[in-house]
Amino acid sequence: MNGIQVDMNRLKKGEVSLGTSIMAVTFKDGVILGADSRTTTGAYIANRVTDKLTRIHDKVWCCRSGSAADTQAVADIVQYYLDLYTTQYGTPSTKTAASVFKTLCYENKDNLTAGIIVAGFDDDTKKGEVYSVPLGGSIHKQKYAIAGSGSTFIYGYCDKNFKEDMTKDETIHFIKHSLSQAIKWDGSSGGVIRMVILTESGVERLIFYPDEYENL
Amino acid sequence: MTSIGTGYDLSNSVFSPDGRNFQVEYAVKAVENGATSIGIKCDDGVVFAVEKIVTSKLLVPKRNVKIQGIDRHIGCVYSGLIPDGRHFVNRGREEASNFKKLYSNAIPIPAFADRIGQYVQAHTLYNSVRPFGVTAIFGGIDENGPHLYMLEPSGTYWGYKGAATGKGRQTAKAELEKVIDQNSEGFSARDAVKQAAKIIYMAHEDNKEKDFELEISWCSKSETNGLHKFVEGELFDEAVEYAKKEIAGDEDSDSDNAMSSDDEDAGPDVATTTETPATEGNADRDGDIEIE
Amino acid sequence: MNHDPFSWGRPSDETYGAYNNEIAHAPSFPKMNTQQPIVTGTSVISMKYNNGVIIAADNLGSYGSLLRFTDIERLIPVGKNTIVGISGDISDMQHIEHLLEEIETENQYDNSFADNEESLQPSYVFEYLANVMYSRRSKMNPLWNALIVAGVEDNKPFLRYVNLLGVTYSSPTLATGFGAHLAVPLLRRVIDREEDIAKTDLQTAKTTILEAMKVLYYRDARSSRKFSLAIIDNDQGLIFEKDLQVEKMAWNFAKDIRGYGTQKV
Repeated sequence: MNGIQVDMNRLKKGEVSLGTSIMAVTFKDGVILGADSRTTTGAYIANRVTDKLTRIHDKVWCCRSGSAADTQAVADIVQYYLDLYTTQYGTPSTKTAASVFKTLCYENKDNLTAGIIVAGFDDDTKKGEVYSVPLGGSIHKQKYAIAGSGSTFIYGYCDKNFKEDMTKDETIHFIKHSLSQAIKWDGSSGGVIRMVILTESGVERLIFYPDEYENL
Repeated sequence: MTSIGTGYDLSNSVFSPDGRNFQVEYAVKAVENGATSIGIKCDDGVVFAVEKIVTSKLLVPKRNVKIQGIDRHIGCVYSGLIPDGRHFVNRGREEASNFKKLYSNAIPIPAFADRIGQYVQAHTLYNSVRPFGVTAIFGGIDENGPHLYMLEPSGTYWGYKGAATGKGRQTAKAELEKVIDQNSEGFSARDAVKQAAKIIYMAHEDNKEKDFELEISWCSKSETNGLHKFVEGELFDEAVEYAKKEIAGDEDSDSDNAMSSDDEDAGPDVATTTETPATEGNADRDGDIEIE
Repeated sequence: MNHDPFSWGRPSDETYGAYNNEIAHAPSFPKMNTQQPIVTGTSVISMKYNNGVIIAADNLGSYGSLLRFTDIERLIPVGKNTIVGISGDISDMQHIEHLLEEIETENQYDNSFADNEESLQPSYVFEYLANVMYSRRSKMNPLWNALIVAGVEDNKPFLRYVNLLGVTYSSPTLATGFGAHLAVPLLRRVIDREEDIAKTDLQTAKTTILEAMKVLYYRDARSSRKFSLAIIDNDQGLIFEKDLQVEKMAWNFAKDIRGYGTQKV
């Protein structure tokens, strides 16, 4: 085995990567997802206005990090699974959605570079939920989750400033400040900050431009 | 029947000219001769009961269990060919296990009914297989509450408040209707167990010459924490005692229960008031059940 | 004409020679399944005592040197008298959790005694896991873990280890990973040989395990202060203690340390 070395966890040459700052936070009325918008190939920014917040189901969304190709493929497959699930059994729970992500990421771990946060709002329990599915394909239910290359810079900030059951404005404030710091220190993160808010009243999108978040 | 000898009953995948699948109808016959099985839905769960005819004195009492668990929250009982039922349950277990592996949740019972229903239906389509010789009653509790289903050899399944199949189904259904009507305000799992025991004893009245054993299981939020378990010990004895007492009292009082006795095979009886329309199709003069 | 539908649409043998399956089915690249652990759990430590076993593991899931997840439970109960302690890759640990849940469900099938005399015993669980671990390494696709199965069987303590290579062994004191180097010598100060088990009571054993967890927290850079501990006692059954913390640490001596040798101030 020593003759051939393949390390699939490193990006293949020239592959587009989401060297990212992403997060999802549960709050009083549901859950908010947040992400930067930078996609790179090496040091070149392939897309500066990327949308890394992806719909999987009406009120189950995900934040993608890692290989753009891999995470798009996985998200598309999960979306298909959940569509099928909906026609057969009704609305899937966030847990079920996260479990499908996990199954795909775990069983294909040798060939994937995908770190995904799954976040959703459950209309029955009126609660937001966040699941983190990191590289190896494990699954972790969390109050809030951060991921991507930029997240390493904000572990301390987030741990100190997160509170349970925040209001919508507090949560937006928290995410904006967190991602602002992540973007500031991570060269692979940048562009605009996108957010998606999942609550009982539906789905809402927010966007914040550099002039607004850079000097908070 | 005119169709006898025409050969339309020899293959599963061939319709008769009047649009019937005889193999399925014969499978129903196999069920009709089987021991009585029932299922009752109560407030927070379901109860299953089955009459176990003792076919040999050499059989060890209380062993050779008939009711089976599919997942931890789903129970199943069936009348007809026992080995077919065993295979049915094994398939059900695979479905439940596969669902849980992918979705991290126990399979919702309607979803389970749908999957296993398709499997049974597929056995009416191919020349290389025969239909299942069982009618299965299964159910349990999931996040949406209690569910009870009955699945026939054709692959037809409906949800029920109470279901009965096998030899004593006429008596059992009549009694189920009564019991469920009486308990429409609220039906505890414990009460349902007692009623289930009574119904099996009553259904056995027409088959009195044979010894039988009673088997009861349940699946209740309050009593078994949502798991499918056998009813044992005190409660079981209590239920049997209640059943025996009721039977003894019934014997001389009302005679209308005896109505559907002895001639189980006679078709015309099926159309009596005891029949739930959705359960089986109407019967024609010759006693052949029409599958919807 | 060749009437076998299988050969329709294929190059005819007369023209092209026999169909070479060897080539046709060869993948373009060897299938490589050996991976690397991503999110990992550190040591599991355990020991027997005169009336059962104790097992402990911390609640950390490390992502390289990043202490990423702080609330991971690595002691998995199976039935009433077995605990499986898992170290190594967390995604594989979750897969093992699923397997254990599956065998528990399967044991219930058609088994009226599944809750009593035919319930899963530690040795059954261990033998199953050892088979899984060995078969996966033989497929060149190991589950990246080291496991300790602890429990009480036939009123006697049971303790056995298996790892990603399928290697298994038993001992009155057992630990995985860092614990095998740091904790086992400490545990052996109390139980060095089989006969010492009978001389060790629960209290002594528990103190020893807590002390070992403290040393691991001192010296294992991938460990956390929070941990879980489980006792399977022959009389009391399973006692599962969660949200424990390493207590009574010694740090005060640090104030007397100046420089690294000759310095006095």
